[in-house]
Amino acid sequence: MENNYQLDPNKWIDNYADALYGFCIVRVNNQSIAEDIVQETFLSAWKARETYNAVATEKNWLYAICKNKIIDHYRKKGATITTETEESDSYFDNEEHWTKEKQPNDWGLNGQTQIEKKEFYQVLANCKQKLKELQQQVFVLKYLEDFDSDQICSILGISSSNYWVLIHRAKLQLRNCLEKKWIKI
Amino acid sequence: MKLIKQFFMISCKEATYLVSLKEEGKLSFSKYLKLELHLAICILCKRFEIQTGHFCKLAKQHPLKPEAKMSTEKKLAIKTLLEEA
Repeated sequence: MENNYQLDPNKWIDNYADALYGFCIVRVNNQSIAEDIVQETFLSAWKARETYNAVATEKNWLYAICKNKIIDHYRKKGATITTETEESDSYFDNEEHWTKEKQPNDWGLNGQTQIEKKEFYQVLANCKQKLKELQQQVFVLKYLEDFDSDQICSILGISSSNYWVLIHRAKLQLRNCLEKKWIKI
Repeated sequence: MKLIKQFFMISCKEATYLVSLKEEGKLSFSKYLKLELHLAICILCKRFEIQTGHFCKLAKQHPLKPEAKMSTEKKLAIKTLLEEA
C-alpha cells in the first residue's frame, strides 16, 4: 500500500459501531436489521480496505458504505412488499372533505411560538413505527436520505403514482399521530 | 356554477395529495393553480401543508442517536468475523 495508514478493524468497531448503529436504527427501526447492516458495513469495508485511500476520513468512508447497505436493504425489501390498495379512508368523507375527527387543528405555528423540539424525535419514531412498512420506507428515503421521488421509485421498484399515494398516506397518518402525541391536542 | 366548480375546485383529499407534488415542483400549471386556489380558501388544507412541511423539515435534521448502543455480543461477533475474513 502506498499510504502508511494502517486500518485496524478492532478499533473500527470500538470507535464506530455504536455511531453506525445509531445511524441505522433511525432508518430501519429494527434492532437486529440495524445490527446486521452494521456488520455488513464492516465486512465490506474490510474487504475493500485496499481501495481505501485516506482521502475521505475513515468515518465518512464507513458512513458512505453504511448508507449504501441501507439502500440495498430497502431495495430488497421493496421488491417483496406488495403495493397497497387504497384502504378505507378515515381522513376524508364521501365528498373528500376532511372528517371532523381527523382534520388538522391549529398547532400555533403561525405565532412563531417554539414548539418543544426535545420530545419530537422520540414521538416521530413511535409514530413512524405505526406506518405500513412501505410508507415508512418512502418517508425515510425522502426526508432522511433526501432522495427525490424518481430515485425512490427505482430503489423500491414502485410506480410513481404508487409513490405519491404512499407519501400522501404517510403524511396524513404522521400528522395525525404527531398532533395527538406531540402537540397534544 | 357547477361548471366552475368542476374546473376550478379540487377536493381536500386531492389538495393534500398534490401538496407533495408541489414540494418537488412536479405540478402542471393548471394543477398548481387549482391547488393554490384551494389552499387560499381552505384553512384545513393550508394547515396540513404548513404542519407537514414543518415536521418533515425537522425529520430531516434528525440527530444521530448518541444513546444508541449496539449489543456487546454483536460487536464481538463482528470482530470475530473480521479476523476470519
